[in-house]
Amino acid sequence: MSEDIIQQLKTVYLFRGLSDEALSPLAQKVGVLKLMRDDVLMRKGERGESLYMIHDGWMKVVTEDSRGGELIINKCGPGETIGEMALFDQAPRSASVIALEDVTVLELKQDDFQKILDERPGLSLVIIHGLSSRLRFSTTYIEKAIDWSQKIAEGDYSFIDYTPTLLRRAGSDEDKAGQLLSAFFKMVKRVKEREDGLKQQVEKLTFEIDQARRKREFDEITSTELYTRIKEQARKLREQRFERQDE
Amino acid sequence: MNKGRIISIHSFRGGTGKSNITANLAAQAALAGKRVGVVDADIQSPGIHVLFGLNESKMGRTLNDFLHGKCAIVEAAFAVGKNSGDAEGRAKLAGKDLWLIPSSIAGREISQVLRSGYDFNKLNEGLQTLIKELNLDYLFIDTHPGLNEETLLSIAISDIIIVILRPDDQDIQGTAVTVDVARSLDVPKMILLVNKALPKLDRADIKARFEAEFDAPVAGFMPLTFDLAENASKDLFSLSRPEHEWSLALREVAGAVLAMK
Ligand SMILES: Nc1ncnc2c1ncn2[C@@H]1O[C@H](COP(=O)(O)OP(=O)(O)OP(=O)(O)O)[C@@H](O)[C@H]1O
Ligand SMILES: [Mg+2]
Repeated sequence: MSEDIIQQLKTVYLFRGLSDEALSPLAQKVGVLKLMRDDVLMRKGERGESLYMIHDGWMKVVTEDSRGGELIINKCGPGETIGEMALFDQAPRSASVIALEDVTVLELKQDDFQKILDERPGLSLVIIHGLSSRLRFSTTYIEKAIDWSQKIAEGDYSFIDYTPTLLRRAGSDEDKAGQLLSAFFKMVKRVKEREDGLKQQVEKLTFEIDQARRKREFDEITSTELYTRIKEQARKLREQRFERQDE
Repeated sequence: MNKGRIISIHSFRGGTGKSNITANLAAQAALAGKRVGVVDADIQSPGIHVLFGLNESKMGRTLNDFLHGKCAIVEAAFAVGKNSGDAEGRAKLAGKDLWLIPSSIAGREISQVLRSGYDFNKLNEGLQTLIKELNLDYLFIDTHPGLNEETLLSIAISDIIIVILRPDDQDIQGTAVTVDVARSLDVPKMILLVNKALPKLDRADIKARFEAEFDAPVAGFMPLTFDLAENASKDLFSLSRPEHEWSLALREVAGAVLAMK
Protein backbone atom coordinates (compact mmCIF):
# COMPACT_ATOMS: atom_id res chain seq x y z
CA MET A 1 0.00 0.00 0.00
CA SER A 2 2.86 2.41 0.85
CA GLU A 3 3.92 2.84 -2.78
CA ASP A 4 0.27 3.34 -3.64
CA ILE A 5 -0.03 6.04 -1.00
CA ILE A 6 2.99 7.89 -2.30
CA GLN A 7 1.51 7.87 -5.78
CA GLN A 8 -1.76 9.23 -4.46
CA LEU A 9 -0.05 11.94 -2.42
CA LYS A 10 1.60 13.09 -5.60
CA THR A 11 -1.76 13.85 -7.15
CA VAL A 12 -2.46 16.40 -4.40
CA TYR A 13 -1.34 19.73 -5.77
CA LEU A 14 0.25 20.69 -2.45
CA PHE A 15 2.75 17.85 -2.73
CA ARG A 16 3.29 17.94 -6.45
CA GLY A 17 6.85 19.22 -6.27
CA LEU A 18 8.02 16.53 -3.89
CA SER A 19 10.17 13.48 -4.66
CA ASP A 20 9.23 9.96 -3.52
CA GLU A 21 11.81 10.21 -0.72
CA ALA A 22 10.44 13.48 0.54
CA LEU A 23 6.96 12.02 0.51
CA SER A 24 7.75 8.82 2.33
CA PRO A 25 7.67 10.31 5.89
CA LEU A 26 4.25 11.79 5.03
CA ALA A 27 3.10 8.49 3.57
CA GLN A 28 3.96 6.77 6.81
CA LYS A 29 1.54 8.99 8.67
CA VAL A 30 -1.30 8.37 6.28
CA GLY A 31 -4.07 6.25 7.73
CA VAL A 32 -6.57 4.15 5.82
CA LEU A 33 -10.30 4.39 6.55
CA LYS A 34 -12.90 1.93 5.30
CA LEU A 35 -16.39 3.32 4.96
CA MET A 36 -19.68 1.71 4.03
CA ARG A 37 -22.65 3.22 2.30
CA ASP A 38 -24.13 6.14 4.31
CA ASP A 39 -21.11 6.40 6.63
CA VAL A 40 -20.31 10.03 7.29
CA LEU A 41 -16.71 11.10 6.63
CA MET A 42 -17.20 14.66 7.82
CA ARG A 43 -20.09 16.77 8.96
CA LYS A 44 -20.81 20.32 7.94
CA GLY A 45 -19.83 22.75 10.69
CA GLU A 46 -17.38 20.44 12.44
CA ARG A 47 -13.83 21.61 12.88
CA GLY A 48 -11.67 20.22 10.10
CA GLU A 49 -8.54 18.45 11.27
CA SER A 50 -7.62 16.12 8.40
CA LEU A 51 -7.05 15.98 4.69
CA TYR A 52 -8.69 13.06 2.93
CA MET A 53 -7.91 11.40 -0.37
CA ILE A 54 -10.35 8.96 -1.91
CA HIS A 55 -8.59 5.77 -2.91
CA ASP A 56 -11.59 3.99 -4.30
CA GLY A 57 -15.36 4.32 -4.23
CA TRP A 58 -17.65 7.33 -4.55
CA MET A 59 -18.88 9.84 -2.02
CA LYS A 60 -21.42 12.63 -2.09
CA VAL A 61 -20.86 16.17 -0.85
CA VAL A 62 -24.08 17.44 0.69
CA THR A 63 -25.51 20.46 2.38
CA GLU A 64 -29.03 21.36 3.41
CA ASP A 65 -31.56 23.09 1.27
CA SER A 66 -33.78 25.85 2.68
CA ARG A 67 -36.27 23.28 4.01
CA GLY A 68 -33.64 21.22 5.78
CA GLY A 69 -33.59 18.49 3.15
CA GLU A 70 -30.40 17.00 1.76
CA LEU A 71 -28.94 18.82 -1.21
CA ILE A 72 -26.16 17.07 -3.12
CA ILE A 73 -23.73 19.68 -4.36
CA ASN A 74 -21.05 17.40 -5.74
CA LYS A 75 -19.77 13.85 -6.02
CA CYS A 76 -16.18 12.77 -5.53
CA GLY A 77 -14.43 9.61 -6.59
CA PRO A 78 -11.05 7.92 -6.73
CA GLY A 79 -8.05 10.26 -6.76
CA GLU A 80 -9.89 13.28 -5.41
CA THR A 81 -8.77 15.25 -2.38
CA ILE A 82 -11.17 16.57 0.22
CA GLY A 83 -10.61 19.33 2.77
CA GLU A 84 -6.93 20.00 2.19
CA MET A 85 -7.18 23.41 3.86
CA ALA A 86 -7.72 21.61 7.16
CA LEU A 87 -3.96 21.01 7.14
CA PHE A 88 -3.43 24.73 7.71
CA ASP A 89 -6.42 25.99 9.58
CA GLN A 90 -9.25 24.50 11.59
CA ALA A 91 -12.11 26.23 9.90
CA PRO A 92 -15.48 24.45 10.08
CA ARG A 93 -16.24 22.05 7.23
CA SER A 94 -18.34 23.77 4.58
CA ALA A 95 -20.31 20.66 3.69
CA SER A 96 -20.87 17.07 4.79
CA VAL A 97 -19.32 14.15 2.92
CA ILE A 98 -21.08 10.79 2.92
CA ALA A 99 -20.17 7.45 1.33
CA LEU A 100 -22.34 6.30 -1.55
CA GLU A 101 -20.90 2.77 -1.47
CA ASP A 102 -17.90 0.99 0.02
CA VAL A 103 -15.14 3.56 0.03
CA THR A 104 -11.47 3.54 0.98
CA VAL A 105 -10.17 6.88 2.13
CA LEU A 106 -6.64 7.91 3.02
CA GLU A 107 -6.33 10.33 5.91
CA LEU A 108 -3.55 12.74 6.80
CA LYS A 109 -4.05 14.46 10.15
CA GLN A 110 -3.14 18.07 10.69
CA ASP A 111 -1.03 17.24 13.80
CA ASP A 112 1.09 14.69 11.94
CA PHE A 113 1.47 16.96 8.95
CA GLN A 114 2.63 19.89 11.06
CA LYS A 115 5.06 17.74 13.01
CA ILE A 116 6.72 16.69 9.77
CA LEU A 117 6.88 20.30 8.64
CA ASP A 118 8.61 21.22 11.90
CA GLU A 119 11.18 18.52 11.31
CA ARG A 120 11.75 19.44 7.68
CA PRO A 121 11.49 23.18 6.99
CA GLY A 122 12.48 22.61 3.34
CA LEU A 123 9.17 20.91 2.79
CA SER A 124 7.29 24.10 3.72
CA LEU A 125 8.82 25.96 0.82
CA VAL A 126 7.67 23.39 -1.69
CA ILE A 127 4.19 23.45 -0.23
CA ILE A 128 4.05 27.24 -0.26
CA HIS A 129 5.07 27.08 -3.88
CA GLY A 130 2.19 24.68 -4.57
CA LEU A 131 -0.25 26.94 -2.77
CA SER A 132 0.86 30.11 -4.50
CA SER A 133 0.76 28.65 -7.97
CA ARG A 134 -2.75 27.49 -7.17
CA LEU A 135 -3.60 31.00 -6.08
CA ARG A 136 -2.30 32.44 -9.30
CA PHE A 137 -4.28 29.87 -11.26
CA SER A 138 -7.42 30.84 -9.32
CA THR A 139 -6.84 34.52 -9.96
CA THR A 140 -6.77 33.85 -13.69
CA TYR A 141 -10.11 32.11 -13.41
CA ILE A 142 -11.59 34.85 -11.33
CA GLU A 143 -10.48 37.44 -13.86
CA LYS A 144 -12.07 35.32 -16.54
CA ALA A 145 -15.33 35.15 -14.60
CA ILE A 146 -15.35 38.93 -14.17
CA ASP A 147 -14.73 39.39 -17.87
CA TRP A 148 -17.58 37.04 -18.74
CA SER A 149 -19.94 38.71 -16.30
CA GLN A 150 -19.38 42.02 -18.03
CA LYS A 151 -19.95 40.46 -21.43
CA ILE A 152 -23.18 38.81 -20.28
CA ALA A 153 -24.41 42.11 -18.88
CA GLU A 154 -23.96 43.55 -22.38
CA GLY A 155 -25.80 40.60 -23.93
CA ASP A 156 -22.62 39.37 -25.60
CA TYR A 157 -22.46 35.58 -25.40
CA SER A 158 -19.91 35.11 -28.14
CA PHE A 159 -17.27 33.83 -25.71
CA ILE A 160 -19.22 30.58 -25.42
CA ASP A 161 -17.97 29.62 -28.85
CA TYR A 162 -14.28 30.06 -28.22
CA THR A 163 -13.95 28.85 -24.64
CA PRO A 164 -14.12 25.01 -24.64
CA THR A 165 -10.32 24.50 -24.61
CA LEU A 166 -9.95 26.48 -21.43
CA LEU A 167 -12.67 24.46 -19.78
CA ARG A 168 -11.20 21.15 -20.72
CA ARG A 169 -8.13 22.22 -18.83
CA ALA A 170 -10.17 23.36 -15.85
CA GLY A 171 -12.23 20.19 -15.78
CA SER A 172 -9.17 17.99 -15.59
CA ASP A 173 -7.98 19.74 -12.47
CA GLU A 174 -9.37 19.43 -9.00
CA ASP A 175 -9.00 23.14 -8.54
CA LYS A 176 -12.05 24.75 -6.96
CA ALA A 177 -11.78 28.01 -8.91
CA GLY A 178 -11.69 25.96 -12.08
CA GLN A 179 -14.80 24.09 -11.01
CA LEU A 180 -16.52 27.33 -10.18
CA LEU A 181 -15.68 28.71 -13.59
CA SER A 182 -16.88 25.56 -15.23
CA ALA A 183 -20.18 25.70 -13.33
CA PHE A 184 -20.49 29.37 -14.19
CA PHE A 185 -19.96 28.59 -17.83
CA LYS A 186 -22.64 25.91 -17.83
CA MET A 187 -25.01 28.36 -16.20
CA VAL A 188 -24.34 30.98 -18.87
CA LYS A 189 -25.05 28.46 -21.58
CA ARG A 190 -28.39 27.62 -19.97
CA VAL A 191 -29.29 31.28 -19.58
CA LYS A 192 -28.48 31.90 -23.21
CA GLU A 193 -30.56 28.94 -24.31
CA ARG A 194 -33.46 30.18 -22.25
CA GLU A 195 -33.08 33.67 -23.64
CA ASP A 196 -33.00 32.37 -27.20
CA GLY A 197 -36.08 30.32 -26.41
CA LEU A 198 -37.91 33.38 -25.12
CA LYS A 199 -36.98 35.31 -28.24
CA GLN A 200 -38.53 32.67 -30.40
CA GLN A 201 -41.66 32.45 -28.31
CA VAL A 202 -43.66 35.07 -30.13
CA GLU A 203 -46.59 36.60 -28.39
CA LYS A 204 -49.74 37.94 -29.92
CA LEU A 205 -50.58 41.49 -28.95
CA THR A 206 -53.97 41.77 -27.35
CA PHE A 207 -55.82 45.00 -27.94
CA GLU A 208 -59.32 46.12 -28.56
CA ILE A 209 -60.37 49.43 -29.97
CA ASP A 210 -63.42 51.05 -28.43
CA GLN A 211 -65.11 51.95 -31.71
CA ALA A 212 -67.84 54.04 -30.11
CA ARG A 213 -65.25 56.16 -28.37
CA ARG A 214 -63.23 56.40 -31.56
CA LYS A 215 -66.27 57.75 -33.41
CA ARG A 216 -67.18 60.13 -30.59
CA GLU A 217 -63.70 61.63 -30.40
CA PHE A 218 -63.50 61.95 -34.16
CA ASP A 219 -66.83 63.77 -34.21
CA GLU A 220 -65.73 66.08 -31.41
CA ILE A 221 -62.67 67.18 -33.33
CA THR A 222 -64.20 67.44 -36.77
CA SER A 223 -67.23 69.38 -35.60
CA THR A 224 -65.18 72.33 -34.37
CA GLU A 225 -64.98 75.60 -36.23
CA LEU A 226 -61.17 75.31 -36.13
CA TYR A 227 -61.24 71.99 -37.94
CA THR A 228 -63.59 73.26 -40.64
CA ARG A 229 -61.37 76.28 -41.23
CA ILE A 230 -58.17 74.22 -41.42
CA LYS A 231 -59.74 71.72 -43.77
CA GLU A 232 -60.95 74.45 -46.08
CA GLN A 233 -57.58 76.22 -46.07
CA ALA A 234 -55.74 72.97 -46.73
CA ARG A 235 -58.01 72.24 -49.68
CA LYS A 236 -57.30 75.63 -51.23
CA LEU A 237 -53.64 75.17 -50.60
CA ARG A 238 -53.50 71.86 -52.40
CA GLU A 239 -55.29 73.34 -55.37
CA GLN A 240 -52.80 76.17 -55.52
CA ARG A 241 -49.86 73.82 -55.35
CA PHE A 242 -51.27 71.68 -58.11
CA GLU A 243 -51.79 74.71 -60.26
CA ARG A 244 -48.27 75.92 -59.57
CA GLN A 245 -46.85 72.58 -60.54
CA ASP A 246 -48.91 72.38 -63.67
CA GLU A 247 -47.50 75.68 -64.82
CA MET B 1 -45.37 66.29 -57.18
CA ASN B 2 -42.01 64.83 -56.35
CA LYS B 3 -40.17 67.99 -55.45
CA GLY B 4 -40.59 69.54 -52.04
CA ARG B 5 -42.68 66.95 -50.32
CA ILE B 6 -43.92 67.70 -46.86
CA ILE B 7 -43.77 64.77 -44.47
CA SER B 8 -45.13 65.23 -41.00
CA ILE B 9 -44.56 62.85 -38.15
CA HIS B 10 -47.23 62.42 -35.52
CA SER B 11 -48.28 60.37 -32.58
CA PHE B 12 -51.31 60.56 -30.40
CA ARG B 13 -49.34 60.26 -27.18
CA GLY B 14 -45.97 61.68 -26.18
CA GLY B 15 -42.65 59.91 -26.06
CA THR B 16 -43.32 57.52 -28.92
CA GLY B 17 -40.02 58.43 -30.57
CA LYS B 18 -41.20 61.07 -33.06
CA SER B 19 -38.21 63.36 -32.65
CA ASN B 20 -35.65 60.58 -32.87
CA ILE B 21 -37.33 59.03 -35.88
CA THR B 22 -37.86 62.35 -37.66
CA ALA B 23 -34.24 63.37 -37.18
CA ASN B 24 -32.91 60.01 -38.30
CA LEU B 25 -35.19 59.80 -41.35
CA ALA B 26 -34.13 63.30 -42.38
CA ALA B 27 -30.47 62.39 -41.85
CA GLN B 28 -30.83 59.25 -43.98
CA ALA B 29 -32.47 61.24 -46.76
CA ALA B 30 -29.65 63.81 -46.63
CA LEU B 31 -27.09 61.03 -46.64
CA ALA B 32 -28.76 59.68 -49.78
CA GLY B 33 -28.02 63.03 -51.42
CA LYS B 34 -31.43 64.64 -50.99
CA ARG B 35 -31.92 68.26 -50.00
CA VAL B 36 -33.76 68.11 -46.73
CA GLY B 37 -35.39 70.48 -44.26
CA VAL B 38 -36.63 69.71 -40.76
CA VAL B 39 -39.07 71.96 -38.95
CA ASP B 40 -39.61 71.64 -35.24
CA ALA B 41 -43.31 72.37 -34.98
CA ASP B 42 -43.44 71.14 -31.40
CA ILE B 43 -43.57 74.69 -30.11
CA GLN B 44 -44.76 73.60 -26.68
CA SER B 45 -41.88 71.26 -26.00
CA PRO B 46 -39.16 71.61 -28.63
CA GLY B 47 -36.51 68.93 -28.64
CA ILE B 48 -35.29 67.81 -32.03
CA HIS B 49 -32.55 70.48 -32.12
CA VAL B 50 -30.60 68.47 -29.52
CA LEU B 51 -30.35 65.55 -31.93
CA PHE B 52 -28.75 67.85 -34.49
CA GLY B 53 -26.24 69.15 -31.95
CA LEU B 54 -27.84 72.56 -31.65
CA ASN B 55 -27.84 73.91 -28.12
CA GLU B 56 -29.22 77.02 -26.51
CA SER B 57 -26.03 79.01 -26.92
CA LYS B 58 -25.75 78.25 -30.64
CA MET B 59 -29.43 78.81 -31.38
CA GLY B 60 -30.02 81.86 -33.55
CA ARG B 61 -33.32 82.75 -35.18
CA THR B 62 -36.22 80.35 -34.67
CA LEU B 63 -39.57 79.38 -36.13
CA ASN B 64 -41.14 81.62 -33.47
CA ASP B 65 -39.26 84.64 -34.82
CA PHE B 66 -40.58 83.92 -38.27
CA LEU B 67 -44.16 83.48 -37.06
CA HIS B 68 -43.93 86.83 -35.27
CA GLY B 69 -42.67 88.53 -38.39
CA LYS B 70 -39.23 89.15 -36.92
CA CYS B 71 -37.28 87.38 -39.66
CA ALA B 72 -37.54 85.54 -42.93
CA ILE B 73 -37.92 81.78 -42.59
CA VAL B 74 -34.59 81.08 -44.27
CA GLU B 75 -32.83 83.13 -41.63
CA ALA B 76 -34.00 80.63 -39.04
CA ALA B 77 -32.52 77.69 -40.95
CA PHE B 78 -29.56 76.10 -39.19
CA ALA B 79 -27.28 74.38 -41.70
CA VAL B 80 -26.56 71.01 -40.13
CA GLY B 81 -24.09 70.05 -42.86
CA LYS B 82 -21.92 73.03 -42.04
CA ASN B 83 -22.14 72.54 -38.28
CA SER B 84 -22.08 68.79 -38.01
CA GLY B 85 -19.53 68.79 -35.15
CA ASP B 86 -17.62 65.77 -33.99
CA ALA B 87 -20.29 63.48 -32.53
CA GLU B 88 -19.66 60.14 -34.23
CA GLY B 89 -22.99 59.93 -36.07
CA ARG B 90 -23.62 63.57 -36.89
CA ALA B 91 -20.11 63.99 -38.26
CA LYS B 92 -21.26 61.93 -41.24
CA LEU B 93 -23.59 64.77 -42.22
CA ALA B 94 -20.69 67.13 -42.97
CA GLY B 95 -21.30 68.78 -46.30
CA LYS B 96 -24.82 67.35 -46.66
CA ASP B 97 -27.78 69.50 -47.58
CA LEU B 98 -29.76 69.44 -44.37
CA TRP B 99 -31.35 72.36 -42.55
CA LEU B 100 -33.14 72.58 -39.26
CA ILE B 101 -35.67 75.25 -38.38
CA PRO B 102 -35.68 75.05 -34.59
CA SER B 103 -38.41 76.13 -32.28
CA SER B 104 -37.55 78.57 -29.51
CA ILE B 105 -36.81 77.07 -26.13
CA ALA B 106 -37.40 80.40 -24.39
CA GLY B 107 -40.51 80.10 -22.22
CA ARG B 108 -41.76 83.56 -23.10
CA GLU B 109 -41.77 82.90 -26.81
CA ILE B 110 -43.43 79.56 -26.34
CA SER B 111 -46.34 81.05 -24.45
CA GLN B 112 -46.61 83.85 -26.96
CA VAL B 113 -47.33 81.48 -29.83
CA LEU B 114 -49.68 79.44 -27.72
CA ARG B 115 -51.64 82.56 -26.82
CA SER B 116 -51.94 84.03 -30.27
CA GLY B 117 -52.27 80.70 -32.05
CA TYR B 118 -50.69 79.69 -35.32
CA ASP B 119 -51.42 81.64 -38.39
CA PHE B 120 -52.17 78.96 -40.94
CA ASN B 121 -51.27 81.06 -43.92
CA LYS B 122 -48.14 82.40 -42.35
CA LEU B 123 -46.85 78.94 -41.47
CA ASN B 124 -47.73 77.58 -44.84
CA GLU B 125 -46.18 80.48 -46.68
CA GLY B 126 -43.03 79.93 -44.61
CA LEU B 127 -42.80 76.26 -45.51
CA GLN B 128 -43.36 76.93 -49.20
CA THR B 129 -40.69 79.64 -49.18
CA LEU B 130 -38.29 77.30 -47.44
CA ILE B 131 -38.87 74.57 -50.01
CA LYS B 132 -38.33 77.01 -52.84
CA GLU B 133 -35.33 78.93 -51.57
CA LEU B 134 -33.43 75.94 -50.29
CA ASN B 135 -34.62 73.88 -53.23
CA LEU B 136 -35.71 71.08 -50.89
CA ASP B 137 -36.65 67.58 -51.94
CA TYR B 138 -38.19 66.83 -48.54
CA LEU B 139 -39.43 68.84 -45.62
CA PHE B 140 -39.96 66.90 -42.40
CA ILE B 141 -42.16 68.29 -39.65
CA ASP B 142 -41.76 67.09 -36.08
CA THR B 143 -44.87 67.76 -34.03
CA HIS B 144 -46.35 67.95 -30.58
CA PRO B 145 -48.30 64.81 -29.62
CA GLY B 146 -52.08 64.82 -29.69
CA LEU B 147 -54.56 66.53 -31.96
CA ASN B 148 -54.27 70.18 -31.09
CA GLU B 149 -54.31 73.12 -33.44
CA GLU B 150 -50.72 73.02 -34.65
CA THR B 151 -50.91 69.29 -35.19
CA LEU B 152 -54.07 69.58 -37.26
CA LEU B 153 -52.34 72.29 -39.27
CA SER B 154 -49.27 70.27 -40.03
CA ILE B 155 -51.37 67.23 -40.91
CA ALA B 156 -53.47 69.32 -43.24
CA ILE B 157 -50.56 70.66 -45.26
CA SER B 158 -48.69 67.35 -45.53
CA ASP B 159 -48.19 65.16 -48.55
CA ILE B 160 -47.27 62.22 -46.39
CA ILE B 161 -48.05 61.61 -42.76
CA ILE B 162 -46.18 59.11 -40.65
CA VAL B 163 -48.10 58.06 -37.56
CA ILE B 164 -45.98 56.50 -34.87
CA LEU B 165 -47.40 54.29 -32.17
CA ARG B 166 -46.24 51.88 -29.55
CA PRO B 167 -47.90 48.49 -29.28
CA ASP B 168 -49.93 49.59 -26.27
CA ASP B 169 -53.69 49.94 -25.72
CA GLN B 170 -53.81 53.68 -25.15
CA ASP B 171 -51.59 54.43 -28.13
CA ILE B 172 -53.71 52.20 -30.34
CA GLN B 173 -57.00 53.79 -29.31
CA GLY B 174 -55.67 57.32 -29.83
CA THR B 175 -54.01 56.40 -33.11
CA ALA B 176 -57.33 55.24 -34.46
CA VAL B 177 -58.70 58.76 -34.01
CA THR B 178 -55.56 60.41 -35.44
CA VAL B 179 -55.74 58.22 -38.51
CA ASP B 180 -59.44 58.99 -39.04
CA VAL B 181 -58.84 62.73 -38.70
CA ALA B 182 -55.85 62.67 -41.06
CA ARG B 183 -57.90 60.82 -43.61
CA SER B 184 -60.75 63.27 -43.38
CA LEU B 185 -58.21 66.09 -43.95
CA ASP B 186 -57.40 64.42 -47.30
CA VAL B 187 -53.72 63.76 -46.65
CA PRO B 188 -52.65 61.93 -49.80
CA LYS B 189 -50.43 59.32 -48.12
CA MET B 190 -50.38 57.84 -44.68
CA ILE B 191 -48.10 55.20 -43.17
CA LEU B 192 -47.87 53.71 -39.70
CA LEU B 193 -44.68 53.03 -37.81
CA VAL B 194 -44.51 50.87 -34.70
CA ASN B 195 -41.75 51.96 -32.33
CA LYS B 196 -40.61 50.50 -29.01
CA ALA B 197 -41.83 47.04 -30.03
CA LEU B 198 -40.81 44.20 -27.73
CA PRO B 199 -38.90 41.53 -29.64
CA LYS B 200 -41.28 38.78 -28.56
CA LEU B 201 -44.26 40.34 -30.33
CA ASP B 202 -45.65 38.61 -33.37
CA ARG B 203 -45.00 41.28 -35.98
CA ALA B 204 -46.82 39.70 -38.89
CA ASP B 205 -49.92 39.43 -36.73
CA ILE B 206 -49.71 43.06 -35.57
CA LYS B 207 -49.10 44.29 -39.10
CA ALA B 208 -52.15 42.50 -40.44
CA ARG B 209 -54.44 43.65 -37.65
CA PHE B 210 -53.25 47.26 -37.62
CA GLU B 211 -53.60 47.50 -41.37
CA ALA B 212 -57.13 46.15 -41.18
CA GLU B 213 -58.04 48.44 -38.30
CA PHE B 214 -56.44 51.66 -39.60
CA ASP B 215 -56.58 51.04 -43.33
CA ALA B 216 -52.97 52.23 -43.73
CA PRO B 217 -49.73 50.27 -44.29
CA VAL B 218 -47.39 49.50 -41.41
CA ALA B 219 -44.06 50.59 -42.89
CA GLY B 220 -41.81 49.42 -40.10
CA PHE B 221 -41.22 47.93 -36.68
CA MET B 222 -38.61 49.63 -34.58
CA PRO B 223 -37.56 47.50 -31.64
CA LEU B 224 -37.50 48.73 -28.07
CA THR B 225 -33.84 48.95 -27.22
CA PHE B 226 -31.77 50.08 -24.29
CA ASP B 227 -29.05 51.22 -26.64
CA LEU B 228 -31.24 53.94 -28.08
CA ALA B 229 -32.54 54.95 -24.67
CA GLU B 230 -28.95 55.16 -23.48
CA ASN B 231 -28.02 57.33 -26.42
CA ALA B 232 -30.30 59.87 -24.68
CA SER B 233 -30.82 61.90 -27.88
CA LYS B 234 -27.12 62.82 -27.84
CA ASP B 235 -26.48 61.70 -31.39
CA LEU B 236 -28.24 60.42 -34.48
CA PHE B 237 -28.44 56.76 -33.64
CA SER B 238 -28.85 55.43 -37.19
CA LEU B 239 -25.56 57.14 -38.05
CA SER B 240 -23.58 56.35 -34.90
CA ARG B 241 -24.77 52.72 -34.76
CA PRO B 242 -25.58 51.94 -38.42
CA GLU B 243 -25.58 48.16 -37.92
CA HIS B 244 -27.91 48.17 -34.92
CA GLU B 245 -31.29 46.52 -35.56
CA TRP B 246 -33.10 49.78 -34.78
CA SER B 247 -31.00 51.52 -37.43
CA LEU B 248 -31.60 48.76 -39.97
CA ALA B 249 -35.35 49.10 -39.41
CA LEU B 250 -35.11 52.86 -39.70
CA ARG B 251 -33.18 52.69 -42.97
CA GLU B 252 -35.83 50.39 -44.34
CA VAL B 253 -38.51 52.96 -43.54
CA ALA B 254 -36.36 55.74 -45.01
CA GLY B 255 -36.00 53.70 -48.17
CA ALA B 256 -39.74 53.18 -48.38
CA VAL B 257 -40.46 56.88 -47.85
CA LEU B 258 -37.93 57.98 -50.47
CA ALA B 259 -39.38 55.48 -52.93
CA MET B 260 -42.94 56.81 -52.56
CA LYS B 261 -44.36 58.08 -55.80
N1 LIG C 1 -37.11 52.11 -29.89
C1 LIG C 1 -36.76 52.73 -28.75
N2 LIG C 1 -36.23 52.00 -27.73
C2 LIG C 1 -35.86 52.64 -26.58
N3 LIG C 1 -35.98 53.94 -26.35
C3 LIG C 1 -36.50 54.70 -27.32
C4 LIG C 1 -36.92 54.15 -28.58
N4 LIG C 1 -37.38 55.16 -29.34
C5 LIG C 1 -37.26 56.29 -28.61
N5 LIG C 1 -36.73 56.03 -27.40
C6 LIG C 1 -36.47 56.98 -26.30
O1 LIG C 1 -37.73 57.49 -25.88
C7 LIG C 1 -37.62 58.85 -25.51
C8 LIG C 1 -38.60 59.69 -26.31
O2 LIG C 1 -38.14 59.75 -27.65
P1 LIG C 1 -38.43 61.02 -28.55
O3 LIG C 1 -38.06 62.28 -27.83
O4 LIG C 1 -37.85 60.77 -29.87
O5 LIG C 1 -40.01 60.90 -28.60
P2 LIG C 1 -41.09 62.00 -28.94
O6 LIG C 1 -42.25 61.24 -29.45
O7 LIG C 1 -40.50 63.03 -29.81
O8 LIG C 1 -41.39 62.59 -27.53
P3 LIG C 1 -42.28 63.90 -27.23
O9 LIG C 1 -43.68 63.46 -27.38
O10 LIG C 1 -41.90 64.24 -25.82
O11 LIG C 1 -41.86 64.93 -28.23
C9 LIG C 1 -36.18 59.24 -25.73
O12 LIG C 1 -35.50 59.13 -24.51
C10 LIG C 1 -35.66 58.20 -26.70
O13 LIG C 1 -34.28 57.98 -26.53
MG1 LIG D 1 -40.45 65.17 -29.67
